[in-house]
Formats: sequence, structure tokens, C-alpha cells
Amino acid sequence: MAIHKILFASLLICLLIQSSHGATKERLFSDLEKSALEVTATPSRVGEGVVLAAGIDKLSITWKVSSTATKEPEFKAIKVKLCYAPASQVDRPWRKTENELFKDKSCPHKISSWSYDPAVKTAQSFDYTLERDIPTGTYFVRAYAVDAKDHEVAFGQSTNEDKTTNLFSVQAISGRHKSLDIASVCFSVFSVLALLVFFVNEKRKAKIEQSK
Amino acid sequence: MAPNHSNENGSIGSSLHGVTAREQIFSFSVEDAPWSQAIRSDDPTAKFALPVDSEHRAKVFKPLSFAKPHMRAFHLGWISFFTCFISTFAAAPLVPVIRDNLDLTKTDIGNAGVASVSGAIFSRLAMGAVCDLLGARYGTAFSLMLSAPAVFSMSFVADAGSYLAVRFMIGFCLATFVSCQYWTSVMFTGKIIGLVNGCAGGWGDMGGGVTQLLMPMVFHVIKLTGATPFTAWRFAFFIPGFLQIIMGILVLTLGQDLPDGNLSTLQKSGQVSKDKFSKVFWFAVKNYRTWILFVLYGFSMGVELTINNVISGYFYDRFNLTLHTAGIVAASFGMANFFARPFGGYASDVAARLFGMRGRLWTLWILQTVGALFCIWLGRASSLPIAILAMMLFSVGTQAACGALFGVAPFVSRRSLGLISGLTGAGGNFGSGVTQLLFFSSSRFSTAEGLSLMGVMAVVCTIPVAFIHFPQWGSMFLRPSRHEERSKEEHYYGGEWTEEEKSLGLHEGSIKFAENSRSERGRKAVLADIPTPETGSPAHV
Repeated sequence: MAIHKILFASLLICLLIQSSHGATKERLFSDLEKSALEVTATPSRVGEGVVLAAGIDKLSITWKVSSTATKEPEFKAIKVKLCYAPASQVDRPWRKTENELFKDKSCPHKISSWSYDPAVKTAQSFDYTLERDIPTGTYFVRAYAVDAKDHEVAFGQSTNEDKTTNLFSVQAISGRHKSLDIASVCFSVFSVLALLVFFVNEKRKAKIEQSK
Repeated sequence: MAPNHSNENGSIGSSLHGVTAREQIFSFSVEDAPWSQAIRSDDPTAKFALPVDSEHRAKVFKPLSFAKPHMRAFHLGWISFFTCFISTFAAAPLVPVIRDNLDLTKTDIGNAGVASVSGAIFSRLAMGAVCDLLGARYGTAFSLMLSAPAVFSMSFVADAGSYLAVRFMIGFCLATFVSCQYWTSVMFTGKIIGLVNGCAGGWGDMGGGVTQLLMPMVFHVIKLTGATPFTAWRFAFFIPGFLQIIMGILVLTLGQDLPDGNLSTLQKSGQVSKDKFSKVFWFAVKNYRTWILFVLYGFSMGVELTINNVISGYFYDRFNLTLHTAGIVAASFGMANFFARPFGGYASDVAARLFGMRGRLWTLWILQTVGALFCIWLGRASSLPIAILAMMLFSVGTQAACGALFGVAPFVSRRSLGLISGLTGAGGNFGSGVTQLLFFSSSRFSTAEGLSLMGVMAVVCTIPVAFIHFPQWGSMFLRPSRHEERSKEEHYYGGEWTEEEKSLGLHEGSIKFAENSRSERGRKAVLADIPTPETGSPAHV
């Protein structure tokens, strides 16, 4: 019971520390400058009903600071993320879009991060291979511009404001492996057999006892 | 000699008759009674490591001992149950990974949670009969080793449907609860059974907490070897699977069904009589108290099972903790079982010593209601420290209530004790299925709202405990019967046998139990006259 109390106390302390990191809690998404960046994301395979395979297919992503961006002097880095389209958020509260930035869970997958060089005005592009832990779903790409304090100040995304255009679908890897399947069958068979062997053996011994 | 009814093959046994079918005389200390030696020459009670009563059940509880057969049975029983809890709730802390791999919705996850506890409704019912038929060892081993394949088959799961099916099949192994409680009930005497069952049940239930720590850790280690998350979680399930197989083998090799030996040997030598399943079933079902306990357990253990499924995800999503930290918090809930459930059993025993059965019933009501009130608070807490505090108080109240309930259950029936244990246990799972279905399987309520509503429902469903009335001991608000016959324990327990059965002497175990249960009168038992049992008509003296 003493151990339990210590665990509980240390847990409380850890979590109080975590929750006191809250100075940035009130930053809102709606305060960010919209369309400050022009972002495009082109899948390696396009077409009606094409589903990209995680771990195999690529996205070709380009981003460029828009000429109308007013907060441009504050930009220190650009963070590119993979975000869920509304279709993938239905009945999945853990992917919900929230206005408070620290609560927002719609863009959990980091693609890459680039430090911003104000001298370079042309579009930057790179290829991104979809990671093997990307879940099945419909996505778009968003780039956040962050300032020196690592706070988001502006963003741009590859889709429109309602998130209906230029979306692409990804199919996750199954995570299954032949070796895993075989091991699973082996151990299952062993379990059942072992039980049967014990059972039959004991019944036999009891019969022998009785006949004595 | 008593008639050879005990050698019938094929009929399903009764639960917990006296181990020896031939006890005829019912005085209090029979360890050196001459007749017991005449019947079994190889039966010196001195061979047990712990002091025993006339049924060879241990009178003391020594948790640190592994002595054969009593303490060994206790440890094998609770550890098997613990292992099954680990397997059943192994998915819960990994749900954030699984839901991404299988593209699950909240509804899918909720339904799988319901499925994980529903299988055990049926298996717990069947387990009572299996224990009667094959003994507690095989009951436990069957449960462990036949559900191990289900645990391993998580490696095949590819969508919501197969995930649900596998969780359903794994859930069958929670029947070990019944076999564990059955095993301890045959090994330990009535005066300490509250504490012993509380410890066995509580330490087993801890598995639901340990799994919240164990599975994320195993998952993390497997990822370190280079596996992707979507493969690592599947492989992580091999650990509970191995544990089940190992425990199954240990139970079969080290365990013993009854204090005097294994069931098959004792049955064949005619030392344990068998009862008719239909009678056992009828007396369990006919007794209204069984159903009240069914509902009560549904809202103490049921709530606990539901929390095991939802709490890790709740802390992960609502308070933005990491998988690891959410697991630690969730584990604290289940770990409280280590002392909370035994405490409930102990409190029940203490209340019984002072106030008899009435004390046990009041203890049960208080603990369960207080726990449910804290559950309401947990749902309403919006800051993490308060949520954790509410959760801890809630866990202690609810888990102690589980322990206290099994301080009452052994007294509801003697003839059908195994089946009543099974039915009550099934009630726990049923309650869990209902609460998960109502509050956690759709987007209608947020998880926080669901928790509070579940607490409200639990408070309401604890009220029926006031209606449990024993003629010989009373109830929460009513006095015991003053009727000459009905106020005797023998009348209550003897009432489960027909006159014909009584003339054959089949009820003698119940009468023995009735005598031993006089302690449920509380302090008055010490002062009351001990009547000679009118129904104890020995066929031979």
C-alpha cells in the first residue's frame, strides 16, 4: 500500500508539471494567416479511385510562400504535415479538428520540417514516401509556418477551405507477416495438444487406480 | 453402509458437498472422531500443513505459503485468473495503434469491448458445471489452454469484424474467475472465505491493471527490434498467449482439486457424491437472491471491466497523455485491486462478526454506492489530477464491493454454490456488456458523459441489495424471522432437498454447512443456544 501511495504521488507530480506547460494553450487555428503558403501535393499515381499504398507510393510536395503573406518576416521554419480529410474523421473523435491548436488532432503525421530562408523565393519541392504507420484514410497536406518560439503563425494546404478538393486515399499496410502467422498456429496447436495429453493420461491413470 | 448412490457415472456433480459423502454425525470438532477413521484409513488430518476443519478445508490463510494443497491451490487459482485478465484486456492499451491499423471507428471499438466481456457470460455459467464434473484444475486448464489459440490469432486480424470475433473468443477465458473461486471455496473454511475469495479475486483482477502497463512496454520493446507499429502490436499478443500456456501446465502438474486428492480419483473410489445438474440448476435459478446478486455484480465488477476497456483511451484522448503515461494511469485503477478487493472481503467478514449477515449486506451497499458516486465525479473532472483522484477513490469503492459481494454469495445456497458463483460472475460480464453498449459504443455521449451516466446507473442498480432477506438472519432493514422452524439455518439449507433425498442422507453436507454458518448471526451466535439438528438423521451411527 505504501508503494501504491508513492506511485500515486509521483504520478500526480509528473502530471502537474505536464499540465503547467500551458502558456501556449490559448493559441487558435482561426488566428493563423490563411493561404500564406501555396502547397501542392501530387501522388505518384493519380486517377479515379486510385488508392496509394503506404510504404510504397510517394507524394511530390511543393510549397511556396505566397506573395500576399503578411507575417512573412516572422517565419523561421516550415513544418509540413499529413492531415485527415473530414471523411476520415467521422465517428473517430481522436482525429477531431479543434480550434485550439494544442487540442487539434487532425494533423498528427509529420512529413518534414524545413528552416525558412527568406532569400529564396522560388517554390521548394521534395518527394515523400508514405510511411508504413500511416493508417488507411483520406488525406491532404498542410504546411505550417512557425516563428522563433516554435509557434504556428500561418499555414497553407493542398486542398480548399472546406477540404473537399485534391484529396488522396491511402491504404495502410496490413501489419501481418507469414512468420507470425505460422508461429501463431504452432503455439495454438501445442496448447490444445498439451491439454489433451494431460487429460487422456489422467483418465487412464484413474481407470488403472479403480481397477486395482 | 450408506447406499451406493455416489458411484453413479454420468450425472453432473453437485457443487461443494462435503468432500466425504459419508459424514453422519454433526458435532463441532470431528478431527479425532472415531467414525472418520473407520471410513478412511488413509485419512490422518495431521498430514495437512495448515489446520483444517471437518471438511479438510484450511482454517487459516497464509498468503506467503505454497503448502500443498490449500495454499498451492490458492496461488495457482489467482495467478491463472490474473493471466486471463491480462489476455482479455491486452488490446485496450494498444487501441490507439490497433484503431489505425484496422481503420476502426468508435463504434467498432465499443462493440469489440462489449464482445470481449460477453463471451464470459456463457463460459462462466458453464464453468460451474465443468468444475463439478471435472474438478477445478481442469476447469482452469481448459479455460487457459483452449483460449490461448484465440490470443495468438490476433496476428491474423485484418478488419473490424475479425477484431471483434477474436476479442470475443479471448473473453471466454474469464471463466477462470469461477474455477478460481470454486477452488478456494473447497479449500478454505467459511469463516475466512470472504478474505480468501477477496484476495484471489482481487489479485486476479489486478491483471486488468497490469496489462495496461505490460502491453505498451512489450509493444515498445518489439518496435525497438525494428518492427513497424502495425506488426509490433500483433506480436505483443504472444506474451499473454505464452503466459496462458505456462499457467495451464503448472495448474495441471502442481494443483489438486480437493484437499484430499484429485476429483477423478476420489469419485472413482466413491468418496465424493454426485448431484443432479437439473436440481442444482433449479435451486440456483429459483432463488431470487441469485438474481439480485447477478445485477449487483453487474454494477460492481461490470463497471470495473468496462473501465479496463475504456480508461486508457480516455486519458490518452482527453488529457493528451502519451500511450505510456495513459497506461500507467489506467494501470493504477486495476492495481488498486491488490488491497481493495481483499479489504472488501475482510470488511464483510468483520461486519459479519459484529452484526451477522445484516452487516455483510450493509457493507456491500455502502461500498458499492460510494464507488459509483466517485465514478460520477470522474466523468465530470476536467483537470487531470482531480480525474486521477476520483478514479482512485472510485476504484477502491467498486473493487471492495466486489469482495464484499462474495462474502455474501457463499451463503445464498449450499447445494448450488458453484452455479451461483457462475451466475453471479456472468452477471458481472453482462453488466459490463450493457454499460459499454449503452454509454461507450456510439458518438451519442462523450466518454466523460458516459462515465458519469454509468455511475448513476450503478447507484440505482445497487438499491436491490435491500431486498435480500434471509429468514434466519434478516436483511438490511428487516429482522430475522421469529418463526420456530424458519429461523434455523438448517431449515433454509435443508429446504433445497426433497424429503426423499433427505431420507437417503444426501443433504448432510448442507446440514454441516448450516451448523458452520451459525456465525452469520453476528455476536448473538455466541449467546444463542446451539440446537441439535432435527434433520440430521444418521443412516448409521
